[in-house]
Amino acid sequence: MNADPVNVFVLGIPGLALLWVLTLVVFTVFGRRVYRIIGLLRQARPENRFDRIGERVRRFARHGLLQPRLFNERSIGLPHFLIFWGFVLYAVCFGWSLMRGLLPFLRIPYPDDVSGVVWFLEIFAVLVLIGLGVAAARRAFFAPPHLHRSWDANLILALIAVLMLSTLLGQGFRAAAETVGSVAGVSNLGSTGYQPVPSGDSPDGMARPSFTKSSAGVVLSASSIPVGGSPTGAGESPALPLLRTGSNTSSAGPIGGWLGALTAKSGTFTGSATALAKVMWWTHMVVVLFFLVYLPYSKHLHLLAAPFSVLFANLRPVGDLSLAGANDDASAGASKWNEFTWKQLLNGFSCAECGRCDRACPAQTSGFPLSPQQIVQKLKQHLLAAGWAKSAPLGPLGNGSSGLVGGAIAETEIWACTTCLACMERCAVLNEQIPLIIRMRRHLVNEGRVNRTLQDMLDNLTRYGNSFGKSDRLRAKWTQSLGWKIKDARKEPVEYLWFLGDYASYDPRLEATTRLTANIFQQAGLNFGILYEDERNSGNDVRRVGEEGLFEMLREKNLQMLAKAQFQTVITTDPHTYNTLKNEYHFERNGHAVLHYSEVLNSLISQDKLPLKRQLAERVTYHDPCYLGRYNEIYDPPRRVLRALGVELVEMPRNRNRSYCCGAGGGRIWMEDSPGIKERPSESRIREAVALDGVSALVVTCPKDIGMFRDALKTTGNEGKIVVKDLAELVWEAMQPLEPTAKEN
Amino acid sequence: MQAFVLLKLSPDTVDELTVAADGKSLETEALRFKLGDSDEHALEQALLLKEKYGGTVTAVALEALEVDDVLFTALAKGADRAVKLSGEFTGSQSHAAAGAMGSFLQSGDAALPADALILLRSQAIDDLDGEIGPFLADLLGVPYVGGVTGVAVAGEGLLVTKEFAGGLRGEFTLPLPAVLGIQSAEKPPRYVPIAKVRAAMKSGRMETAEIPLPATPASFTVERMYKPQAAGRAEMLEGAPEIVADRLVAVLAKNNLI
Repeated sequence: MNADPVNVFVLGIPGLALLWVLTLVVFTVFGRRVYRIIGLLRQARPENRFDRIGERVRRFARHGLLQPRLFNERSIGLPHFLIFWGFVLYAVCFGWSLMRGLLPFLRIPYPDDVSGVVWFLEIFAVLVLIGLGVAAARRAFFAPPHLHRSWDANLILALIAVLMLSTLLGQGFRAAAETVGSVAGVSNLGSTGYQPVPSGDSPDGMARPSFTKSSAGVVLSASSIPVGGSPTGAGESPALPLLRTGSNTSSAGPIGGWLGALTAKSGTFTGSATALAKVMWWTHMVVVLFFLVYLPYSKHLHLLAAPFSVLFANLRPVGDLSLAGANDDASAGASKWNEFTWKQLLNGFSCAECGRCDRACPAQTSGFPLSPQQIVQKLKQHLLAAGWAKSAPLGPLGNGSSGLVGGAIAETEIWACTTCLACMERCAVLNEQIPLIIRMRRHLVNEGRVNRTLQDMLDNLTRYGNSFGKSDRLRAKWTQSLGWKIKDARKEPVEYLWFLGDYASYDPRLEATTRLTANIFQQAGLNFGILYEDERNSGNDVRRVGEEGLFEMLREKNLQMLAKAQFQTVITTDPHTYNTLKNEYHFERNGHAVLHYSEVLNSLISQDKLPLKRQLAERVTYHDPCYLGRYNEIYDPPRRVLRALGVELVEMPRNRNRSYCCGAGGGRIWMEDSPGIKERPSESRIREAVALDGVSALVVTCPKDIGMFRDALKTTGNEGKIVVKDLAELVWEAMQPLEPTAKEN
Repeated sequence: MQAFVLLKLSPDTVDELTVAADGKSLETEALRFKLGDSDEHALEQALLLKEKYGGTVTAVALEALEVDDVLFTALAKGADRAVKLSGEFTGSQSHAAAGAMGSFLQSGDAALPADALILLRSQAIDDLDGEIGPFLADLLGVPYVGGVTGVAVAGEGLLVTKEFAGGLRGEFTLPLPAVLGIQSAEKPPRYVPIAKVRAAMKSGRMETAEIPLPATPASFTVERMYKPQAAGRAEMLEGAPEIVADRLVAVLAKNNLI
């Protein structure tokens, strides 16, 4: 009798043949499905994600292997980490075991015959089981909102549990068999673990590390598996010492050994322990093989796709919406699956439906119809439904719904996004939800499907270069009451070119702040100028509402004007403008830096060039604008400025990269709120700021924030409890001598 | 059906308008022109008719600053042809404009096509009466309906809805060819992305037709153009609501309004 687990008969079929058949069937099904999915991805639009391999590998090592973003949520971070690494270990051992099982002539042991490996397997089995327990409990009892609770997920957890249990029990039975064997007086054949015993008399002439083949083998069938303390087990006991590859008790790990001892002690199963160990081996292998078939049909394809998603993740600035290596007209956008890029489609398979994006999404939280998770999922479902019918010409697909991705996604979902980046900042598999949304917006714009207010804004921007619908000739009107003349950068060289953006130039609520900022720059001796009426909207929001052609036009016009001006550095007061100038205008190619005014103020202070006359004794909190913080990681300069002013900075619970969007970005400021929303993002943020103890001001570094938060102060009835201030206002206060309470103008 | 949309740009009031030194016209130096709302609706109505009944749409515009953008936009929106009537039309009056459009439609020997439908604005900020439409219809000898809010094909002719004051509507049937002054299209004017406008520009499909300024006698002459002058008769009522209300009643009574 041979203890090689393949050396069995199942329902009269030799184990080896059965394993071969199963393997071939499973890998055919698995391979075919994966092949077809890759085939679909290959039909999608191109996008170059094969550059900067070194950086990609480093990114993969970090997010693929260490998974820091999973630890953002404590309850599941460690469990997932353990399950993942357990998976890696078990996947390797499965392959090894399968190889050894299929190719008995290989002179290698099974993984569970190598004591070091066994230790790992057993310890991980327990860790993974604990992880699974936490995961299951989380799903059942304390599921976070937006976690997609599908039977699919539960089945996967159960299957993994079976894998772990079959390993542990298998080890236990083997240990039990060994224990019984040892008691029966069979000595260990070796102490070094694996010790193959070549058998020269093998019928097929192959030398293999096993004992002579039993003529009968162990017949595994439902009826013959000894259950309980069946006396039949005793009859087989002589065979027990004949362990797989040289019986070696050390091949049992700590848990297997303990289980084995327990089993042996109890006397249960002892007779059939070897057989049961084989049953466990088969159970394990069959479940893994089933997994392989099931996986590409379930959300668990995540496991295969996510590493690639991470490897091919975006390495360019996240604030740059242009695609590398795309050869199509970006302005057309996408609606059908094959109009997206292959990487955008891959997102759907990488998504594990964990809901991190939804939990972070201000639109979702406010009750807008947008769910970033569903955007990704619906695209995947559309891909599988429409793409599957493929091979056939693409014609019939177009006859379906004229809606986005086959009608699965409503336009209201697409327009609700503020492009705040919270979803992408959280996504553990580095999916890119926002470019997906923008691509669909481009499609809508291309079809002329924009709402009235947005259309008016776009018409204004096309005609006047600003969203306010005011004459471009009035752009610098705010300078008239300044009392001194700002340099005209079109006419004389300046060191700093101040690009104001529409809000700072045109919004009557912001005029005073804009003048303050100009005065601060002047008093700090900054050699700066502006473009006067030749500045145009930078196009950040235009690009993000999907009007790519208009964005390009605005960028061309601005770049033409900037080419005529002589300057070293561009500074801007608006984070949205900042992002686009910095990441989408490509100034750095001409050696120009782009700075946000908080960076400028910070460096002026550190160079002692800002004439600060007094320390402010205020207690304030600071709001990180999305396009300054998450998009460009400018977190510290504004905080350093605040500290230099002497104010006490109290952080809101959602700060830095967890900052909560004001709701204005991505062109949302030009759109109406949908009816029935629960609480506007700006209102949620104001309540967060007001809840801080003794804080008198909410400091912002974005002109749009001023309007958004001052409105929210009123609508939440919190007027008087806190004031919304621009950073420049505080700086100006600190620049005034103690005595007179000088105000601007 | 061959739809012709006649477009005439109006001064853009985004900048303050100034009266020229002659005191009889607008200062054109800094003046910019744009398509008025009613013109936009006329184009949209033509495109909607094409989508519904087929046929062609030809956008025709009198030359003015920025008129090229307007015509390229019309092409991008779906017009089949775009024709610029070249000539010095800035400041020309309605008779002259109608004359220019008329001579384009009946240029040379070509008579007006039997299935021609001419759509144009019902009014504009510099043409509150919407004179060009009736003048043109008179010139061509075809029927005209203005203030139109709906157009449908009925048999060989048209069924047209016109809006009257007080929420009244009238339906008219009229044969083709005809001239319609469009108050509002059945749908708001569509948005066309800049990328499509730029593609239209590259296509170079805009045609230019030289039209000599017709020697139509001016029906009137402008004596004086001036800005509304503040008369200083406004009176601010201030104080508690009760006092303001009493004063208001007194003012109304004094002017025999109550």
